Amino acid sequence: MIVTHKWLKEFVDFDLTAQQLSHQLTMAGLEVDFMQEVGAGLDSVVVARLDSVEPHPQADRLTKCQVFNGVEVIPVVCGATNHKTGDLVALAQVGTVLPDGLKIKKSKIRGEESRGMLCSVTELGLDDEADGILILPSGLEPGTPVFEALDLKDVRYEIGLTPNRADCLSILGIAREVAAFTHRPLNLPACPAFAPTGVDINALTSVNIETPDGCPRYMARLVRGVKVGSSPQWLVRRLEAVGMRSINNIVDVTNYVLMELGHPLHAFDFNRLAGKRIIVRKATDASSFTTLDGQVHELCSDDVVVCDAEKPIALAGVMGGENSEVMDDTVDILLESAYFDPRSIRRTSKKTGIHSEASHRFERGADIDMVPLALDRAAEMMQQICGATVLDKAIDVYPYPIQKRVISINRNRTNALLGLELSLEQIEQLLTSISLCPQHTDADTLEVTVPAARHDLEREVDLMEEVARLNGYDNIPVTMPVSQMVAAIDTRQIDFVRDLRNVVVAQGMREIINYSFESTLVCDRLCLNADDYRRRHVALINPLTEEQSVMRTSLVPAMLDTLARNLAYKSSDLSLFELRPVFIPGESAQPDERMKLCFTLSGLRERQGWAHADAEVDFYDLKGVAEIIFERFGIRSPVFVPDSPEPYLHPGKSCSVYCGGRNAVKIGALGELHPLVLEHYSIGQPVYIAELDVEMLYAHSEKTQTFKPISKFPDSYRDSAFLVKEDITAQQMLEVINKVKVKYLEDVILFDMYAGKGIPEGMKSLALRMRYRSADKTLADEEINAMHAKIVKALQQNLGAEIR
Amino acid sequence: MEHQLEAMLLDARTALLDADNEVDLQSIRVQYLGKKGRLTAIMKEMGKLTADERPIIGAVANKVKDELASVFEQQLQALKQQHLTKRMEQERIDVTLPGRHQKVGTKHPITLITEELVEIFSFLGFSVAQGPEVEEDFYNFEALNLPKDHPARDMQDTFYITDNEVLRTHTSPVQIRSMLQHQPPLRIIAPGTVYRRDSDITHSPMFHQIEGFMVDEHITFGDLKGVLTAFITECFGKNVGVRFRPSFFPFTEPSAEVDIQCVICGGKGCRVCQNSGWLEILGSGMIDPEVFASVNYSSEKYSGFAFGMGLERIAMLKYGVNDLRLFFENDVRFLRQFCV
Repeated sequence: MIVTHKWLKEFVDFDLTAQQLSHQLTMAGLEVDFMQEVGAGLDSVVVARLDSVEPHPQADRLTKCQVFNGVEVIPVVCGATNHKTGDLVALAQVGTVLPDGLKIKKSKIRGEESRGMLCSVTELGLDDEADGILILPSGLEPGTPVFEALDLKDVRYEIGLTPNRADCLSILGIAREVAAFTHRPLNLPACPAFAPTGVDINALTSVNIETPDGCPRYMARLVRGVKVGSSPQWLVRRLEAVGMRSINNIVDVTNYVLMELGHPLHAFDFNRLAGKRIIVRKATDASSFTTLDGQVHELCSDDVVVCDAEKPIALAGVMGGENSEVMDDTVDILLESAYFDPRSIRRTSKKTGIHSEASHRFERGADIDMVPLALDRAAEMMQQICGATVLDKAIDVYPYPIQKRVISINRNRTNALLGLELSLEQIEQLLTSISLCPQHTDADTLEVTVPAARHDLEREVDLMEEVARLNGYDNIPVTMPVSQMVAAIDTRQIDFVRDLRNVVVAQGMREIINYSFESTLVCDRLCLNADDYRRRHVALINPLTEEQSVMRTSLVPAMLDTLARNLAYKSSDLSLFELRPVFIPGESAQPDERMKLCFTLSGLRERQGWAHADAEVDFYDLKGVAEIIFERFGIRSPVFVPDSPEPYLHPGKSCSVYCGGRNAVKIGALGELHPLVLEHYSIGQPVYIAELDVEMLYAHSEKTQTFKPISKFPDSYRDSAFLVKEDITAQQMLEVINKVKVKYLEDVILFDMYAGKGIPEGMKSLALRMRYRSADKTLADEEINAMHAKIVKALQQNLGAEIR
Repeated sequence: MEHQLEAMLLDARTALLDADNEVDLQSIRVQYLGKKGRLTAIMKEMGKLTADERPIIGAVANKVKDELASVFEQQLQALKQQHLTKRMEQERIDVTLPGRHQKVGTKHPITLITEELVEIFSFLGFSVAQGPEVEEDFYNFEALNLPKDHPARDMQDTFYITDNEVLRTHTSPVQIRSMLQHQPPLRIIAPGTVYRRDSDITHSPMFHQIEGFMVDEHITFGDLKGVLTAFITECFGKNVGVRFRPSFFPFTEPSAEVDIQCVICGGKGCRVCQNSGWLEILGSGMIDPEVFASVNYSSEKYSGFAFGMGLERIAMLKYGVNDLRLFFENDVRFLRQFCV
């Protein structure tokens, strides 16, 4: 909603600068998004007379003008075509900076001197569109600043209204607020009196409402003998100032009243109405109707239409029809001022896609009590501007007058909610200032009658808000709540996710956040099987794009996109993770939102540096991150099972991870990305990736820790290298050792693995260091040797391991 | 004999002081003071002396011995010092070479800002709660006083899964879920991911919000101002101006938009604040009685306030990020800048 300083002043005699008004409007809940001081800094744009206009000798499209600026005659080159000798024009003199930033300088244009610029309305910041330069009305004194001469200096305030304040969709509505916070009276326009013509409207036409739900009130006047033409300059400028374009004097008058009083009107060409009468009814199903913008709409029985005796002539409260539009030769006008049901207008507006100034107001709730004033105000202006005669009386069909709402407000409750200590009189005064009518019922209560325009005031709390707003939010003292101790809610799982993130970050990983949507095609890119559960998606009914049409079931695809994108940016050493939910369709309508952790490594292990040789990450770096997570969160003995069934992983360099001992559950998979998938994502270097189920991790995380006394006795160790078949895993070796149950075996470290020269084909060497220690004595060599021999024997027997 | 001793002392002192390394020094010491050294040799002659002379010469010999030991010790220390100095000189390294780093990870800036805000509200007694991102109509709209034909429910603005399920458009449903699950007093903060059907330079279809609310007996609008002012002071600094201005949300009444003085220009007016000097950072208000009704709280007994803010916006202001899309492109050149 745009309002101007001058227009507001017609309703309230306030005394505020533009800055002050802007601030106060904002603090009253009418946020000023944008403020423009029209004509500010443009005093050097003056009225000038064209003493001669000649063609430019070097350029066909330019003219060479001699311009009298009130002091002297100066040369100006101009590119417009709509000017002639004797015209008064707007001359921007040398030194002027126009609103678009253009600075006027003395120059030579194609060899001809030019000492200024003749301006269009666009260049002066008056309108977005212009047709040639601005030709000023005759009679102005050359040399006078143009904005002064035309009385155009003004301030425009663009107000971002909240949807509840339909009452402020007009100059009057905003003025009422200004009057309230400046404590000045609001001057409503007087109801005009028309000279009797001897012709009663009821003799010529009638109005019949067949759908009082859709149209509770309909008023009409007949205006005869109009001369349709262009509007006077002041009207054109004023509409432009609030963002409307002049059409013709009839339409301009209805728009003017719309902006001023906030009530939409419509003018029909009376002589084009069949039967010369108005019927308001529901549209016939599947009928079609052409609005005055030339669009054809299909209607249904939900739509309210204004009809003549035969057919619809307007989509009620939304847009008029082509068939009854005012044209250049229109003489008699039926002027409509009505009130339509907001819900019905919203439906029709949404269905037809028409969003007009009228529908915007009706669907938010217009003021039913404004219907007569708006009608008479427009009729009066047509009389003044269009040379019309207003016939006697108005038709007013208002079958079920709407009862005004009465709401009570209690002083104590109000003060308790707001943290204020207002007296009942103060509350009364505040509410009265915005045209509410409060009456005392008892010492603490007011009964407040609410004007029809305030659809948003329905409950006591709504009035409390008005009290807070009018008293000023700034005047509410800042306090800290005095509250009972709050029993904290259980946040352990939330804390777990936070701790997990910290641990992963401590491994040198960077967190990323990807969209939760994906395309179904990503499953193919990951080579998922046809029956893979991740192919069942939670789908959006109305996605923005195909790429974002379903909720993701895995964090892997987006992670690979992120990797590919970073590689394209030449960032080739990547350690990334994402900790977000995936969406798995479940039994119930609500999907299972499972928190997952995906992490990936690719490129160099460490940043290049002088202190170490470059080395690429491999599977064991990835596994190391997983192991640290397990250790940190007390996931006891996780099991890494070779040959992960994940189709996107390299089968020989991947594994599934289980935890939970006897009733082991799978918590994820990790490994090198399958070469085919690398190809699908156009990634040219090995990628290692893991995805773990965080809820499973949480479920198996053990917090209990038991201290083991530190032995005072020295340790001893024995190193042994074993020759085993290539397919014997480290885990098999360790399991065998564990089964031997050697009492004093403290730990086992696998410190070397070797295959190749010196080792028979199909075999490998694994070197183990076994550390022995007792809590209560120094172990003797013989004891240790005996224990070690037992282990070696077990490895020989179970896995055919030979000591090298 | 006395002369002999004094001559020896002279020789030995010169020799010790001339020694330029520890090995030579030790052998000189042995040469004079060792078992087979010159002092011992001279002392062996003591037997030839008279009983009168013996104590005198003995005293001289002891004095010589002590003096030589002291010279030796002195020279030894000097040589050690020399040696150390020389070693220190030889062992210089280039300390300007970069140190060895453990690989350092980073949190996403949205995580950082979430953690910061959660921490501030934790100090103010709030606990964290979460809710699902695929949300039922009741929690996302209905219970929040957004009736069936409300424009916010439009397919234009909201992602629908089914007629009854949407991707939550705000974190406010957590308010409803928490209130249904617990009884007042409540102080809850709920960060989370939200979705709106909008994608351009300044809108992302997925973004993050943090919702907070407090319900108890006798909570006032003044308390709302108090808690949020405390938050802003912690988050943006003590000297930043705050203003509360009337606004409208279906789930609060009265409602307030909260602005802070522009952190870029300090309130003088700039491009970021569109010359107003103020930046809108959060929406808030007293919880609407309709909302209390939908969770069966008595609005006669209880009152409360709620607030919500966009985390991307706060992060953009605090970190000076000028493009919303950067948060979701995950360019490591962007991510690595956030390491606190």
